[in-house]
Amino acid sequence: MTKTAVIICPGRGTYNKDELGYLGRHHGNRARQLAEFDAYRQSQGQPTLSALDAADRFSAARHTSGDNASPLIYAASLFDAQAVADDYDVLAVTGNSMGWYSALAVAGAMSAAAGLQIVNTMGTLMQERMIGGQTLYPFVDDNWVPKPGLRDQLLALVAKISARPDHALDISIHLGGMLVVAGDEAGLTAFEDAVAPQGGRYPMRLPGHAAFHTGLQGPVSEAGKARLAVDLFENAKLPLIDGRGAVWQPGTYTATELWDYTIGHQVLETYDFTGAVQVAAHSFAPDVFIITGPGTTLGGAVAQSLLACDWDAISTKDAFLARQAEAPLILSMGREDQRASVVGA
Amino acid sequence: MDRAAIVHQNFLSRVSTGDLPDGLPPRTASPETLMRLFHAQCLSRQLDRTSRVMQKAGQGYYSIGSSGHEGMAAVADALRPTDMAFLHYRDAAFQIARADQVPGQTPAWDILLSFAASSEDPISGGRHKVLGSFDLNIPPQTSTIASHLPKAVGAAHAIGLTRRHRPEHARLPDDGIVMCAFGDASANHSTAQGAINTACWASFQSAPMPLLLVCEDNGIGISTPTPEGWIAANFAARPGLKYFACNGLDLDDTLRSARAAAEYVRRRRKPAFLHVRTVRLFGHAGSDHELSYRAKQAIETDEANDPLLHTVRLLRDSGAATGLEALDVYQRTGERCDRIAARVVKRRRLETGADVVASLIPPKRNCAPSNGPSPEVRQQAFGGDLRALAEPQPMARLIGWGLTDLMLEHGEIVVAGEDVGRKGGVYGVTQKLQARFGPDRVIDTLLDEQAILGLAIGLGQNGFIPIPEIQFLAYLHNAEDQIRGEAATLSFFSNGQYTNPMVLRIAGLGYQKGFGGHFHNDNSLAVLRDIPGLVIACPSRGDEAVMMLREAVRLAREDQRVVVFVEPIALYPMRDLHEDGDKAWMCRYPGPQERIPLGEVGVEGDGKDIAIVTYGNGRYLSVQAAKGLEEGGTRARVIDMRWLAPLPEAALLEATKDCPAVLIVDECRKTGSQSEALMTMFAEAGRSGVSRVTAEDCFIATGPAYAATLPSVDKIKAAALSILGAAS
Repeated sequence: MTKTAVIICPGRGTYNKDELGYLGRHHGNRARQLAEFDAYRQSQGQPTLSALDAADRFSAARHTSGDNASPLIYAASLFDAQAVADDYDVLAVTGNSMGWYSALAVAGAMSAAAGLQIVNTMGTLMQERMIGGQTLYPFVDDNWVPKPGLRDQLLALVAKISARPDHALDISIHLGGMLVVAGDEAGLTAFEDAVAPQGGRYPMRLPGHAAFHTGLQGPVSEAGKARLAVDLFENAKLPLIDGRGAVWQPGTYTATELWDYTIGHQVLETYDFTGAVQVAAHSFAPDVFIITGPGTTLGGAVAQSLLACDWDAISTKDAFLARQAEAPLILSMGREDQRASVVGA
Repeated sequence: MDRAAIVHQNFLSRVSTGDLPDGLPPRTASPETLMRLFHAQCLSRQLDRTSRVMQKAGQGYYSIGSSGHEGMAAVADALRPTDMAFLHYRDAAFQIARADQVPGQTPAWDILLSFAASSEDPISGGRHKVLGSFDLNIPPQTSTIASHLPKAVGAAHAIGLTRRHRPEHARLPDDGIVMCAFGDASANHSTAQGAINTACWASFQSAPMPLLLVCEDNGIGISTPTPEGWIAANFAARPGLKYFACNGLDLDDTLRSARAAAEYVRRRRKPAFLHVRTVRLFGHAGSDHELSYRAKQAIETDEANDPLLHTVRLLRDSGAATGLEALDVYQRTGERCDRIAARVVKRRRLETGADVVASLIPPKRNCAPSNGPSPEVRQQAFGGDLRALAEPQPMARLIGWGLTDLMLEHGEIVVAGEDVGRKGGVYGVTQKLQARFGPDRVIDTLLDEQAILGLAIGLGQNGFIPIPEIQFLAYLHNAEDQIRGEAATLSFFSNGQYTNPMVLRIAGLGYQKGFGGHFHNDNSLAVLRDIPGLVIACPSRGDEAVMMLREAVRLAREDQRVVVFVEPIALYPMRDLHEDGDKAWMCRYPGPQERIPLGEVGVEGDGKDIAIVTYGNGRYLSVQAAKGLEEGGTRARVIDMRWLAPLPEAALLEATKDCPAVLIVDECRKTGSQSEALMTMFAEAGRSGVSRVTAEDCFIATGPAYAATLPSVDKIKAAALSILGAAS
């Protein structure tokens, strides 16, 4: 029986030690496309994705820098999406943060090569400029239930710090039960000093990440617009849900509009991934949400986004896990057990 | 096969075979715009179909659809999402197209929740199937009897006023316009005609009126045809109103005309009338058997002109999509509705009475604190009156001063009514206000009570605190639905998201000595008493009137309530109480901080033989009667209810608990007056020895018999002695 699905592409930070060799393990049959990607990378004087993926050992410095991590994640996402079995009726595509670039290619809003060019250019620009940083902080408890008032307190704190002279701080991503906060060093430090430490991990500064989705990225957006032509974009074959929760239905927009959002607003304004997942649920009501690889970390944020709107009457982590055991709502292709039920024979 | 199925099959087969209705190629809309609007049209149509399936399954509760009116998507596209839209009930396509202009919206989910009457329905919380959205600036209302037109005129006026006096809680942008849609049949409603006349009246004298009236003319009102050409003949040449017309079956034509009309309204700040010719598909509602009153050929002619078929032609001609691609959009949208519907029917619904009642009273809102006007500003405003503040004055003058202080303190207060400005009101209550605050804030309206109340609702929705005046209580009745059906319901139907706070002043009640007869001495408040959520105040003495008015404004401003303030005309000029020249009914102006809170009753005297419960003129008479009773050895106390609704039950029971007898003195009629509720209340509280004196069930005469049917001092005394005699 055909199942309906929304595909979700992950963002930065999802190609880590465990994902080394992901392309080789799962996508040996996409060698030709990978070769095209490699050629492009070589033309830019950058290490090929094949080489990065096939490295003997994982190097954080090498594999997580924006100019390398972004295209690796993009390729893994795109190839995973292409591997989704035909018995899934894909209703729409969305993504988290740089996953938006992957989503564009998955939905057919650009060729695979154009997608690589965009993700590579933006990733490289981010890496070169490295303006500001990101830190992660949760507002839900261990059972994914929001701690009363905490989210509002954090939003107020961010607004308060950002109003200080010489402090830049903003919400970068609404990420399920977490807020990704971005800013300059003064802003981030002030935030990290003000919040209570949690679980020995949070607030968690994200190494190698810039202040994505904030006004600090103005120079990156401008440079991106100068380097990336409108004609890289076209109308997608599938509906897309962006970081504002807006739905881009095929045929209803121009390439210029998509280009302008992708390299403008999307780079400069808060990315509401939570909202995008909820719009996907409410507007498409799929049977499952398929999260492409690499990595497995986005599943929690997707689940938390769905819990926040009481999707299918699931409102706690336990209820979600019970549902996953019975009839999975989320299928993460980065997990071997779940991948098997997504890819074709 | 029902007509919905026939229309659906026609669409599938005609698009598949390329059999599309004739029409002009697109000239205005881009291929992308046509495709975007086609998506909205398909969703609107498929929601109509889904609503019928849900209703048959006992899971949906509304099936009046928008089919045939999907061209309204183009009207939405011509406007901004910040332009407040008061929609016709067939405007799902408008709401969907507007949702497309605001990222993060989920119109299919939202509208299906409303079909299912789920408590998660984001506009009404499951109380009513209405189009509406807070984020999209679409206030919910029923629109079936054109009762939303007066407030649309009011909201348009509010935009003009906001440019000069922006209230703290203003919602609409200064360059916004107001859109109001209605059907061809309801255009005949006196309310619609009155509202359109009001817009013309304002425009004719160049007052800003950025209002786009959209008449969706499908040629039939339930079963009664609209005469051919009637709408155009009626509205094409109204003074001050620019007429535009378009073929609502053709998105391109509709978009072009709607843009031109919207541009005209926005730029000129004058009203326009956009006449959109549509068809009605699927009959009036799910339960409607159209063939019983309409020729099959007429129905089929409309069906052959399905606007979705016209749009498929435009898509083809513009190169936006082939027929098969259009069909794919249509079908996938239908599948989407099915999937979402399967989920929304499982969502929560309202269960208890408390659930339903929850949004009746609006939420409180934060208002910036004010220290009031400086002494200098107050001196300037009051001028020579300032010296008189320390002297006892009759009620009319004190209320006028109370209004002056309130308007000084709260810049968002606007007084409006017939003759309230230059003349200062029929009884002089609003004298000098226009000179003090200007014609913007003290508005002489035209003679139309619906227009006055519509103005107040529209102002209230844009952050003002309107204090409209109805000149005489009897004049309220031709307009009361603006309170009953509109103002009082807005918080309820919008789950507390939209409010229209106001203090409605009404001069009324009897006892004007021989003047005016019934129409100037109406003594029935029944039409207000049963309206849920409404606050009714009725002062009886000048100082208390001022303190109650302050509370009424606070209730409107902070608690967003609709308050009716009934002022007894006969007490406006009253000076003496027991004998000529005693001046015992005149009072000094209370200090600016003094206020009588909602629910606090007035107790005069400490007599324990009998408690007289009354209000308004009844209090004045009862105090006189109490003196007479005391001279005969009976000691009474007089309790002024002050707040007629909600009934101050606890305060009344407390104030009367140590009296063996209670006499209710009610100047309104025996039937429908407050006395009925009071008798019931005392009976339910187990109190005996309760009786009442009321007006007779009759209208009031002019001339010497003006008070013959009303309670009098003698009747009160006699009734009191009668109860006490029976009790002893």
